Amino acid sequence: MMGHLETDMADAVRTAPATVASVRDLKVHFAAKRGVVHAVDGVSFDIRDGETLGLVGETGCGKSVTGRSFLRLLPVPPGILAGGSVTFRPHALCEDCDGAGCDACGCTGRKAVVCPSCRGQGCATCDGTGAETIDLLKIDTETLRKLRGDRVAMIFQDPGKALNPTLTIGQQVAEVFLQHRTDELIELAGLSPETGGALRRFARQDHRFGDGILLSLPPFRGQRRRIQAALDKMVARALAETQVPNPASLMDRYPHELSGGMRQRVMIAQALACNPDLLIADEPTTALDVTVEARILELIRDLQMRRRSSVLYISHDLSLVRRICDRVAVMYAGRVVEIGPTAEVFRNPRHPYTRGLLAAVPTADTPRGGLAAIKGTVPELVDPPAACRFAGRCRHETEACRRFDPTLEPVSETHAVACFIDHPAPEGDQPSFERITE
Amino acid sequence: MSAAPDPHPTPASRPDRAVLSLKGVKKHFPIREGAFQRVTGWVRAVDGVSFDIRPGETVGLVGESGCGKSTLGRCVSGLTDVTAGGVYFDLPAEASRLLDNIASGTATDAEKARVAQIEAAHRIDRLQGAGYKRFRRNCQMVFQDSFASLNPRHLVVDIVGRSLRVYKEASGTELTERVVELLEQVGMGRQHLYRYPHQFSGGQRQRISIARALATNPDVIILDEPTSALDVSVQAQILNLLSDLQKQHNLAYLFITHDLSVVRHMADRLVVMYLGKVSEAGVTSDVFDAPHHPYTRALMEAKPDIEGAASEQAQGLDGVVPDPARPPRGCRFHTRCHMATPSCGWEVDDVIRRLEDIPGLFDALSGVERKSDFAASLTFGDAAAAERLVSILDSDGIPAAMRSAMGRLERRDRTVSVAFDEVPDVDLRITEPGRVASCVLSPIEVFQGVNE
Repeated sequence: MMGHLETDMADAVRTAPATVASVRDLKVHFAAKRGVVHAVDGVSFDIRDGETLGLVGETGCGKSVTGRSFLRLLPVPPGILAGGSVTFRPHALCEDCDGAGCDACGCTGRKAVVCPSCRGQGCATCDGTGAETIDLLKIDTETLRKLRGDRVAMIFQDPGKALNPTLTIGQQVAEVFLQHRTDELIELAGLSPETGGALRRFARQDHRFGDGILLSLPPFRGQRRRIQAALDKMVARALAETQVPNPASLMDRYPHELSGGMRQRVMIAQALACNPDLLIADEPTTALDVTVEARILELIRDLQMRRRSSVLYISHDLSLVRRICDRVAVMYAGRVVEIGPTAEVFRNPRHPYTRGLLAAVPTADTPRGGLAAIKGTVPELVDPPAACRFAGRCRHETEACRRFDPTLEPVSETHAVACFIDHPAPEGDQPSFERITE
Repeated sequence: MSAAPDPHPTPASRPDRAVLSLKGVKKHFPIREGAFQRVTGWVRAVDGVSFDIRPGETVGLVGESGCGKSTLGRCVSGLTDVTAGGVYFDLPAEASRLLDNIASGTATDAEKARVAQIEAAHRIDRLQGAGYKRFRRNCQMVFQDSFASLNPRHLVVDIVGRSLRVYKEASGTELTERVVELLEQVGMGRQHLYRYPHQFSGGQRQRISIARALATNPDVIILDEPTSALDVSVQAQILNLLSDLQKQHNLAYLFITHDLSVVRHMADRLVVMYLGKVSEAGVTSDVFDAPHHPYTRALMEAKPDIEGAASEQAQGLDGVVPDPARPPRGCRFHTRCHMATPSCGWEVDDVIRRLEDIPGLFDALSGVERKSDFAASLTFGDAAAAERLVSILDSDGIPAAMRSAMGRLERRDRTVSVAFDEVPDVDLRITEPGRVASCVLSPIEVFQGVNE
């Protein structure tokens, strides 16, 4: 009976869709003086296990807001989470093979955590997948705190701003371990797992009045030092993974003493310290030189491969996304207008905006002054009308585009686009790539 | 060539001249320390750069951040004084040759006398009165951050019309009409006249900056990262606009950028800078087809491509740009070069640059006695530490090229003596007609990638 149940559970988890996170109809609005700005207005996509999904778009298209909503890092107010969900399925080491890779986990060594309410049978909370499914927008802040930096981590654009200038590198990276790896830390320090009181609070970064004096007294002093030494060891290991030279000396330095590339490595070390299932990288190389950028990308890619983390890579740089992403989602004015495998989207873009973006990048063959610029500017997102968001800038628009709002529909098994060129318009003229309307 | 120019001569109509000519431009910033702000060293931001900008052409200036390209832009436009060398405006070819002769020490006395005259008439920091005004009118600048470079308290009509008013070219209604004309040239219109900069998008603000630069009908515009803060679709609009304006007005551009695909699209000729010096210069397409300097090659390989095969072979460079206050000897790039040879200028400081990150290696160092940049004795607290350094210097821990450049490495008790072969600094040399590069390797060797 027991055995039967276990096989059932394994089956259920194995058939679960290999998505690490799903965004469904996400809407994030901002209250402004002129009205409500629909910064993200119905965005849906999946991030599959182990893939790198690129989220590209221009300034103000809502890509960063989407990324930040995973960790609820949006200022509310003025931000309004107007609807939708961001679900996340945490993964754990496969207990059958202990990370070596077996049939049960599809040779990845990792398995989705079994849903606690139905024990893998499939229920309403887990969409019938049997895998634990957490709605990141609904859970309480305490649970979110446990996930942040542990299961879902983020790398920010400007490491100069994201690092605390008053703390040393060692102190900042250590925070991740103090918040999420208290037990491991106590074990590494050679203390008993039952250690409690002030020492555990020390290893959890939870200071109480009097702890300082208590921990400076003889029996505790030595143990505290052992925890500190264990912490330093973990931090040095995390930093060493990002190929920084001499991690031990780096730990005593402050962010301003480091170059941009070094700071970004520290951020990566921080983000990947706990082996997150999902890494949100928000333009991690925009502030860096091209030679350093190549190195950082290589590093992210390498570490991701080894840990099999999934990455949401937010960028405005198409050529970069093309180089490192498996799939790409193109955003425009708060919507995903096209999503598909990178090679396919770049070879055969189906949305006029994607085509426009690709044509706007200067290449070796473009005659000078002959760049195909997209006319006009991004529309204001205050109470947008029911119309294609790209209407008004599109070279192929018809009356239908101005009256109806296209939804994201598949054009092939893997590739979806929100445009009437590939899907029948409800009424009126059908736009097409052949017909250019100015 | 008289010292008093006619009222509105345009160098653009005379192709035998350089609109701007840089001759050995250096800009060093003092490092001050202590209570009395004593100068303790110099940051060599720009360290001897020479090139010409001819009428109607675009010269692209590329390099990593901190290589001195923006400082050079400010020197060229006269916003910063140069430490040495000179920037010459509207320089005839004959005068240019004369100045080169002086620099190489082959000039006659008569020629030396002529130079003073030329400098007074063309060197931008010696120009006075009408000559200086003429330079100012004809050399304009567009900055990267359009928000910071437009006065937030001024209306567009004031910003764009300012120079017309200063040069007393127009006033009242005529001024407004001229401003409208300028705005229309950059794709904007009358409705934008009475707005403030914050009411515009980044692309529109950059258009206003360009309109302001065009107001005095210049010969040359220095564009310092004009599209770096813009999105790709807006960037395309601005680049198209710049190309159109260039054709209409026969403008010369100095296009400073770190974006190689933009510079490939825009520039006729390319100047690649590294650590204050030119590492390579030539016609853009030639440089892209076959770089003659390993640094240029590394830059191009690191650049992600939108077309062609999506490769993940981007190499990137190790290490950081060395301190410009104490740039490396020989070739400045040798500390990060994949193709470095023994004759690239390895020096004592490279021992520190290479090995400073090894934990504890230099903890016991008690004294350094420098004989020259290429030879020194390092004294340690104990013999074991000295022996450790010797063993690392004699192993694969350092590049093979560096090891073979080491003429002497010996330990006497607690003292390690190192001496490298002395080599002269690597200067720019002509590698092909119209191409210069500062590399000890031949173009073929750079192409093949020796020592990689």
